[in-house]
Amino acid sequence: MTLYHILALSGVVFSIGIFGVLTRRNILGILMSIELMFNAANINLVAFNHYLHPGNVWGQGFSLFVITLAAAEAVVGLSLVLAIYRNIKSVFTENMNLLHG
Amino acid sequence: MFFKEDIVPQGADRWIHWLAPVAACAPAFICFAPVPFGRDIVPVDLDTGVLFILAISGLSVIGILMGGWGSGNKYSMLGGVRAAAQLVSYEIPRVLSVVPILMLYGTQNLRLITMAQQARWFNFFPKWFVFYPVIGQISFLIFLICSVAETNRTPFDIPEAESELVAGFHTEFSGLKFAFFFLAEYAYVFLASAMAAALFFGGGDGLWVRGGIIPSWLWFLAKTSVLVFVFLWFRWTYPRLRVDRLMQFCWKFLLPWSFINIALTGAWVLVH
Amino acid sequence: MSLIFYVFGALLVLSALGVVLLKNVFHSAIALVMALALVAGIFVMLGADFLGASQILVYVGGIMIIMLFVIMLSQQPVEALQRQVNEQWLLAMILSIAIGAGLAEGFKKYFAYHFKSPGLMPTSVSIGRLLLGEMIVPFEAVSLALLAALVGAVLFSQEQKDK
Repeated sequence: MTLYHILALSGVVFSIGIFGVLTRRNILGILMSIELMFNAANINLVAFNHYLHPGNVWGQGFSLFVITLAAAEAVVGLSLVLAIYRNIKSVFTENMNLLHG
Repeated sequence: MFFKEDIVPQGADRWIHWLAPVAACAPAFICFAPVPFGRDIVPVDLDTGVLFILAISGLSVIGILMGGWGSGNKYSMLGGVRAAAQLVSYEIPRVLSVVPILMLYGTQNLRLITMAQQARWFNFFPKWFVFYPVIGQISFLIFLICSVAETNRTPFDIPEAESELVAGFHTEFSGLKFAFFFLAEYAYVFLASAMAAALFFGGGDGLWVRGGIIPSWLWFLAKTSVLVFVFLWFRWTYPRLRVDRLMQFCWKFLLPWSFINIALTGAWVLVH
Repeated sequence: MSLIFYVFGALLVLSALGVVLLKNVFHSAIALVMALALVAGIFVMLGADFLGASQILVYVGGIMIIMLFVIMLSQQPVEALQRQVNEQWLLAMILSIAIGAGLAEGFKKYFAYHFKSPGLMPTSVSIGRLLLGEMIVPFEAVSLALLAALVGAVLFSQEQKDK
């Protein structure tokens, strides 16, 4: 279990998250894939803190802020999804094309 | 109950219906790890014991939501959503009521918190947190009320509400699955009492412990049993709160008082 | 300890695949809950015990519950039969595999050395000192950001009152 293994794991989860963001039709699925990407980045931060800078906890503090801001962003995104659903009664992205050229 | 037929409704989601009792019950047993059952009798001596218990208790809300959704039944879903809203709301004053203890004792380790309560005022009065003027009592009352709400016990048992929503989120579960939901509830009642005994009543501390006459785990179990009796006593005594009044009680009364409590504890720590 | 890491890693990759590939969006939310709990376990293995508990408290006990609420409130019976992946999936798969491979190569070039793994220590006190000491400005700024998010969420989720 070296540093490289943990970074490889977070790289795999990050690319799975990118696949999810680009392909999901349900907008809640897109939000969930974004959360996956946040978590992959957090694993990276904590792994670097543990292996490269064992004396301090800056990586973990940064990670705590990422968790907090991801919570804020998820809340705002989900309230937007609710407002959209109330208007067009659908959560699929191909129906949200009012601004389409 | 073991031999009852396991019924899954036709419109239900089989996987979610199967996993919901597991997700509701498993966190209840994990949470018992950092609880100090006596002097130096701790299964896992965790340095983030308090945060661990409070975090894992929040996991069972997912089980309740899964139970409400997986039943394929409008009323179950409504009961599940109400239960989840109630649980999430009452988690906040519960966590905030534990903060004064962390401020005073400077550690989250439950064993160290109980050890710090072995001191004595005037050489005979135990220095348990519940005896600290004002801050101890407010913290204990808020923690007790929020634990009653967290475990869906009367007077906060709208989610179960036998007379209103049939049985809320666990209507469509029969046999052992139903047993798991109730096992989770009772395990959480015991856990909340054990936590209150360790945090507020000096768990394991008491008369004649030092000489070894009465073992510390007996004191801990006695305190926990008294608190479980208080939970049961509430159930016999109080009528059920209506849902909107329940939410008002949490957000408009308990939450401001827990903030005031933290401020008062800050003043106490400053003075002493 | 390596065995636990491999088990957690394999389950994490499986849950992540479940999030992006499962047809029923409620199922993929449950898969995300499992993924987040496993990430908390990995945090604890890397010595971040306070962060792991906070991850469970905030992410699983907060964000995922809100997301499950919204999924339950915006469900439609017909959608369970439609496919969840849009028509650009091949291109997206190529792109994500390319990004993943690029990341793995970049990490191998710089970080494939054996770093000594220090012992595990409790971190609550250090994080408290850091947050209120050197990171106090981001701490206060995040509280402002949370206030803005709170106000925004309440504003957006109000019913439109037509006159």
